[in-house]
Amino acid sequence: MGSVSIRKVVKSYGAVPVIHGVDLEIREGEFVVFVGPSGCGKSTLLRMIAGLETITGGEIAIDGKVVNDLPPRARDIAMVFQDYALYPHLSVRENMGFGLKLRGTPAPEIEARVGDAARILKIDHLLDRKPRQLSGGQRQRVAMGRAIVRKPKVFLFDEPLSNLDALLRSEVRTEIKKLHQHLKSTIIFVTHDQVEAMTLADRIVVLKGGHIDQVGPPDTIYNAPATQFVAGFTGSPPMNFLPAELTDTHIRFENGQSLAIPDQRRPRGLPSGSRVVFGIRPEHVSRADGAAQLDMPVTLLEPLGSDTLAFLSVGEREIVGRFVPELAPRPGETARISIDMRKYHLFDQDHGRAVGSLDG
Amino acid sequence: MSSKSPRRSIGDLSEGTLGLLMLLPAILLLCLIVVYPVGRLMYISLFDWRMSLPNAVPAFVGLEHYIYALTDDPKFWDAVYNTVLITIITVPGALVVGLGLALVANLPFKHRWPTRLALLLPWALPLVFAGLIFRWFFNYDYGLVNDILQRLGFGKVLWGTDPNLAFFTICLVIIWKSSSFMAMILLAGLQTIPRNLYEAAKVDGATSWQCFWKITLPMLIPSMVVALVFRTITAIQTFDIPYAMTGGGPGGTTETLAMYIHKTTIDFLDFGYGSALAMLMFLVSLGATTIYLRIIQGDKE
Repeated sequence: MGSVSIRKVVKSYGAVPVIHGVDLEIREGEFVVFVGPSGCGKSTLLRMIAGLETITGGEIAIDGKVVNDLPPRARDIAMVFQDYALYPHLSVRENMGFGLKLRGTPAPEIEARVGDAARILKIDHLLDRKPRQLSGGQRQRVAMGRAIVRKPKVFLFDEPLSNLDALLRSEVRTEIKKLHQHLKSTIIFVTHDQVEAMTLADRIVVLKGGHIDQVGPPDTIYNAPATQFVAGFTGSPPMNFLPAELTDTHIRFENGQSLAIPDQRRPRGLPSGSRVVFGIRPEHVSRADGAAQLDMPVTLLEPLGSDTLAFLSVGEREIVGRFVPELAPRPGETARISIDMRKYHLFDQDHGRAVGSLDG
Repeated sequence: MSSKSPRRSIGDLSEGTLGLLMLLPAILLLCLIVVYPVGRLMYISLFDWRMSLPNAVPAFVGLEHYIYALTDDPKFWDAVYNTVLITIITVPGALVVGLGLALVANLPFKHRWPTRLALLLPWALPLVFAGLIFRWFFNYDYGLVNDILQRLGFGKVLWGTDPNLAFFTICLVIIWKSSSFMAMILLAGLQTIPRNLYEAAKVDGATSWQCFWKITLPMLIPSMVVALVFRTITAIQTFDIPYAMTGGGPGGTTETLAMYIHKTTIDFLDFGYGSALAMLMFLVSLGATTIYLRIIQGDKE
């Protein structure tokens, strides 16, 4: 109940291709998040699964059954839209029961299922209101309730949190995660927000320009990004990148400064003199005593309360470090900064792929 | 504040006074073109004023004209009957046809302007022209309709002589003429329905037919009420098309209230009685409008 197979799926609008042959297997009960910048094709892919967009090439199967030519109503899916798409002329109760009523479900069963869903979502006191009488967060819940009562094979969420304010967004995010643990059904969730992707997903699918850059659990995406794009998309602030040249023992930056490579983290398959992009996350830039240290001028501090971000110059380039506030360097000084060389990444300068087999 | 500057500026006025001041031009205009003529009409309706009599002097008769019209004038009731019948046939008829046209015009054609232009043309045509065109269409000897009937092997039909057929053709033309107006209002309404409601309904399991009944129609009700209000008021005042097509005949069977008023006032120069009849029509229009407005307001609560 609820697996989705996407095989070599292509989508074009006229002569303009927007999805270039995507392959993905989604297991039953899995929470999969499609993430990527605007125009990467994540919503288009979701709408193709829903049946709201035609499939130009390849096939999509739900529970092993190819659904390419089935209308949305025959696919047994439910969808939560970005702006909720509640029926304005119907009450909350009628909105939630709409799909069941169309399918000829007996009235007492509709009533029971709407009641159950409303209790789970804590909207049972709103059942007789019209959508316009609800706040944004309440509408969001009704939209989810409308999906839940149907007990579909697959839930599709199209950026459902982007119209909520920041506080409500994190609250509803938690509830969606709880809901998934409760319902144990397959969820495909589209977002452009990497925090939502990291916190919600069993597996993240990072899309860029109509193809998949990387698929994996959040910690793999975070700790072993397959491309520079994925590395730069996750984390807040995202990974720092510095163009560099590889020597036998060191990584040398454009301004001549270099970092020693520990023996156990020597990149494999890269000859000395390779031009690479060196990547390091802000939390691996610290003032701890380590083997690899650089003297860097501090240009700016951003105190966040729990941590302080410091902007540090490396020649013409700049990187960000995350420091414990008491240990943060002062702006204007040149500080001795440690780079945790157990955690660095290398990327190809031309096509951005991770190189040197540095997983973990 | 104002105590320091002796000159009072317009900004010192209270919001209510300022608002009234700004509304004054509109109020004056309305008085000139609505309140005065209606008041004058009501005034004249209380007098016996027949220009057909030599040296006619208006004589005050009170409500006599109204009493006569309502109790003793079969021609008045015939005209009311015809008008009501035209209204209850052509208003829903135009709503249904107009809805169909609006749905067609709203289809995602690559080039929408031909359908929209076709939609506009009947509306842009003057009423009398429409009446004359169809009078020729339905002419016994050289009309297009009888020509087609004959080519198909049927006999010629006396469209203008049979009271029922004459009434039927008039209703047909009114529906043709007014459905484009309906369609334009409904098309505007259709375009305000968000597309994602249909997507949500499709995912929820709706067929296209169910989408129409469960989404399109309920969401279109406000536009339909607006269209019905305007259309009902003009239907009550139906004049041009029957005037051009049948002139009220045969034997007054297609004479509407507006035509009867016109005949009384302009042809027979009975200003007093004509004004009383016009007042009665005004009251009926007012009543219809009030009912619709009640419906709209009731719907909002």
